[in-house]
Amino acid sequence: MIALVIVSTFVVLVLGILVAGLLRSHADILRALHELGAGVGDPAARPAAPAPVTLTAPASSPALGDAPAVAGITPTGDARAIAVDNSDDFTLLGFLSSGCTGCAAFWDALQEPGRLELPDRTRVVIVTKGPDREVPSEVQARTTGRVPVVMSTDAWVDYQVPGSPFFVLVDGATGQKVGQGVARQVGQLAELVRRAEHDRGHAGGTRERGEGSAGGPAREAAADEVLAAAGILPGDPSLYPRTLDDVFPHGRAVPAE
Amino acid sequence: MATIGAHGITARLPAGFEGRIFVRPASVGVTYPVGQFATFPIPDDIGDFGSGAVSVMGPSDVFATLFEYGPESVGTALFAQQGRPAALAESDFSPMTLRRGIPGQSGTQWFFTESGRPFSFYAVLGSHSLRSALVPHVNTLLSSLTLSPAVVNLPAARPLWN
Repeated sequence: MIALVIVSTFVVLVLGILVAGLLRSHADILRALHELGAGVGDPAARPAAPAPVTLTAPASSPALGDAPAVAGITPTGDARAIAVDNSDDFTLLGFLSSGCTGCAAFWDALQEPGRLELPDRTRVVIVTKGPDREVPSEVQARTTGRVPVVMSTDAWVDYQVPGSPFFVLVDGATGQKVGQGVARQVGQLAELVRRAEHDRGHAGGTRERGEGSAGGPAREAAADEVLAAAGILPGDPSLYPRTLDDVFPHGRAVPAE
Repeated sequence: MATIGAHGITARLPAGFEGRIFVRPASVGVTYPVGQFATFPIPDDIGDFGSGAVSVMGPSDVFATLFEYGPESVGTALFAQQGRPAALAESDFSPMTLRRGIPGQSGTQWFFTESGRPFSFYAVLGSHSLRSALVPHVNTLLSSLTLSPAVVNLPAARPLWN
């Protein structure tokens, strides 16, 4: 009898240890899935801990290659092409899907630039796969019209997007990709752009685009140069008009409508 | 070089250009396709002819709009020219041909009928003094456009038994 009790106790202990091990293994799996964005609920809404940055930062990878234009259709059937190399601005391309659980927070945040707190002169473009892989009405249901949404499977191929959500930051001054990867939290995107902006500031890599985009001293100097070439020097009376006749000495021109 | 197409308009965009081809939702009446093309980021909330865009373009930039009118315009004197202009000359651009007069800029506007559709092509140069360098860009864009006959939305077939 005593032997039976001892054996039963031993079996119970072994089974208890086995169950505890299984529960721990199950918890590890759930935690890993949660960090990958495949857990139950919205992973971005309540991050368990500061997730590691998986975006490739500009300084760590200076040559990610050229960034091609993104061309496709909009969810409403219009056509749209975004050139990412035609300004000094940064363009943040967010490759999202309509049905991806981990994308939900980014759909909302990317369409509210104020909430995202991106640096000024950062253009946000959302890119989904084309109508061959996405249902336009489902994409349309997620759009607010505040940022361009382009449906293009070709863009996913061009940018070698492994899955969604995926982000690429392009420096418009050079037309080069300066950062890319998977972000797990919205805040990582602003940090990526800020770091790229900081790096570019040190490199001085902005493109010459003329007075239209120049600001401050550069614009003032350009204006002074044009005025001087026209014989208008500092102190010229024409710089200090008092009446409309001073501004339009030959009569007012009426632009064609 | 990106190619976009919608509503019977296709554009093989030259390098540096971006664009969009769309039909505005009609609150009243009918609206027709509009194509907008530029060498700078096109803001989302601009007018058909570029109000809100031409004010932010730089001197070395180009903006162009292809605007389709209603079929009632076909055959009218304004749209008598068949086909778009083959190539625009520097002299075609004038600071007075601007829907919104911005110092330094110049523009040109053409009305024509192509593939049975009445269009207006309106282009703005960021700087009239740079027209010798900018007009070729406009011509490259103009030649990249393909305008197809309008798609007629036929009514759905009715059941034969009724």
